[in-house]
Amino acid sequence: MKILTIIIIFLFFIAGVAWIDAGNKPRPLQFVVPPGWPQPRYNFKNNPLTAEGFDLGRKLFYDERLSKDSTISCASCHQQFGAFATYDHSFSHGYNNTLTTRNAPSLQNLAWQKEFMWDGGIAHLDLQPLAPITASNEMGETIQNVLRKLNLDTAYKRMFKAAFGTTLINTQKMSKALSQFVLMLVSSNSKYDKVMRGEISFSAAEKLGYEIFKQKCTHCHTEPLFTDLSYRNTGLQADTTLNDYGRMKITGSNHDSLKFKVPSLRNVALTSPYGHDGRFFSLQNVYEHYRNKMVMTKNTDSLLLHKIPLSNYETMQLTSFLRTLTDTSFVKNPAFAPPGYRVTPVFIHY
Amino acid sequence: MVPSHPGASAGTTIRFRHLVGNRELKLFDKNYTNRFGESFIVTKFKYYISGLSVTDAGGRTIRLKDSCYLVDEQDSLSKIIQLPACGRPQSISFFIGIDSAKNTDGVQTGSLDPANGMFWTWNSGYIFVRLEGQSNVSPAPAHIFGWDIGGFRYNENALRKITLTVNKYEAFAGNTIVIDADILTCFDGVHPLQISGSPVCHQPGKLAMQLADNCSTMFSVAP
Repeated sequence: MKILTIIIIFLFFIAGVAWIDAGNKPRPLQFVVPPGWPQPRYNFKNNPLTAEGFDLGRKLFYDERLSKDSTISCASCHQQFGAFATYDHSFSHGYNNTLTTRNAPSLQNLAWQKEFMWDGGIAHLDLQPLAPITASNEMGETIQNVLRKLNLDTAYKRMFKAAFGTTLINTQKMSKALSQFVLMLVSSNSKYDKVMRGEISFSAAEKLGYEIFKQKCTHCHTEPLFTDLSYRNTGLQADTTLNDYGRMKITGSNHDSLKFKVPSLRNVALTSPYGHDGRFFSLQNVYEHYRNKMVMTKNTDSLLLHKIPLSNYETMQLTSFLRTLTDTSFVKNPAFAPPGYRVTPVFIHY
Repeated sequence: MVPSHPGASAGTTIRFRHLVGNRELKLFDKNYTNRFGESFIVTKFKYYISGLSVTDAGGRTIRLKDSCYLVDEQDSLSKIIQLPACGRPQSISFFIGIDSAKNTDGVQTGSLDPANGMFWTWNSGYIFVRLEGQSNVSPAPAHIFGWDIGGFRYNENALRKITLTVNKYEAFAGNTIVIDADILTCFDGVHPLQISGSPVCHQPGKLAMQLADNCSTMFSVAP
């Protein structure tokens, strides 16, 4: 009888250990490639997505302690309600009354990108957060200081352990966690997508707009990402205070003067102002640039040598179509809101 | 971040010794003069060594393919690299810098952790060599000169391979090979680059590649 009791207690002990062990394993998170989309460029094998890694990444993304004076998080400039761009700002606000020098891009469908920033200067998604964290006109902090702050926080220790199996917090693990969160920011459920899936139809104006789009815009803003991710000179002149020549700064080649990455048009209705320096405050300004105001230089894209002829009527149809790229389920997805919230609370707005 | 291999104590040791001409480098407190007559002090001197391989007298080559070492004048331990046991080395080769794969494959750890401050974030990639100091002839703010040398992209490659022959028998005394790195060659090893003309290099490109050429001539096996 006594032996039996010991055996039973022993079995419970084994089962308990096994249960705790199983509980410690991070739960895999599936990355779904929308039907008809190309294969992602991000190598998930080196950073398998897990629920715990995503949660940790989200906490980091919304944590203002990543900045020097604890006022700016990634989410300060990448706001969910603005499709993870800075809503209604040409430039974003940085540490100590500074401004960025470029318009914050929308964070969406990043798994399909190989290079980041308007000039493609950053060669891997995991490397991306290091730039805003350390830039003096963004978060103004050092990597060492961020790691020190994270290491002092037992909640982070617990979350790093849950996500990566170790309480070791280093640059690589922090970046991988942030990547896990932003990789999940997939926008593929706009009205346009529903129409393409045959679930609903375009209105007459939207349909006309889509035809114009396919004629005049799709070469660069290629479906389904609505960008071909190339760098192009679209006849913009450099602002005399910014002197930003784009891609040329990265490649050192004159041929890349004033080339900037083609931005995605997904959620474009939410991401004004437009252009690398946010100089266009409305879609109308953008149309006006392409049909009238382009300045032709020897680097101007060959597709734009005759500018883009657009009648007023066509711009209206085009706008109707572009509004179908707004993905409400993306900008209202509670999984992307700050930890503990279903929508971004007012105090996070800047 | 001690660049050693556990259990390799029986092997050869490489020790880097930093020189300015024929004097040993001391940070901050000595005035040196380059061959253009420009006097300067050095405040920081760090560089990456990677792809180390050693060929012994028997023709056997040991490759430490994935090892990258951050050699820092300020950290004496960083100047010592333990190699696995091998015969008497005849030649040593290594890169000064980090190959393009490690520049583009996410965030690395250990000596390559970007937190070590040898990384450009805005035009992402490793800084292969940092030589910083001050000189009265520098027109830069506070008379600093700062050479951050790196670049892995097409037309910007600052990675340089160094091959050294160990021909002196005495050089192997005590299983240690001393490799001298003479900072003076950074100014004129291949291209004449004066502090007064090029006080600052903070990005990949032509100047970085010229400086890389110069730095690639700084190493020699100490007699």
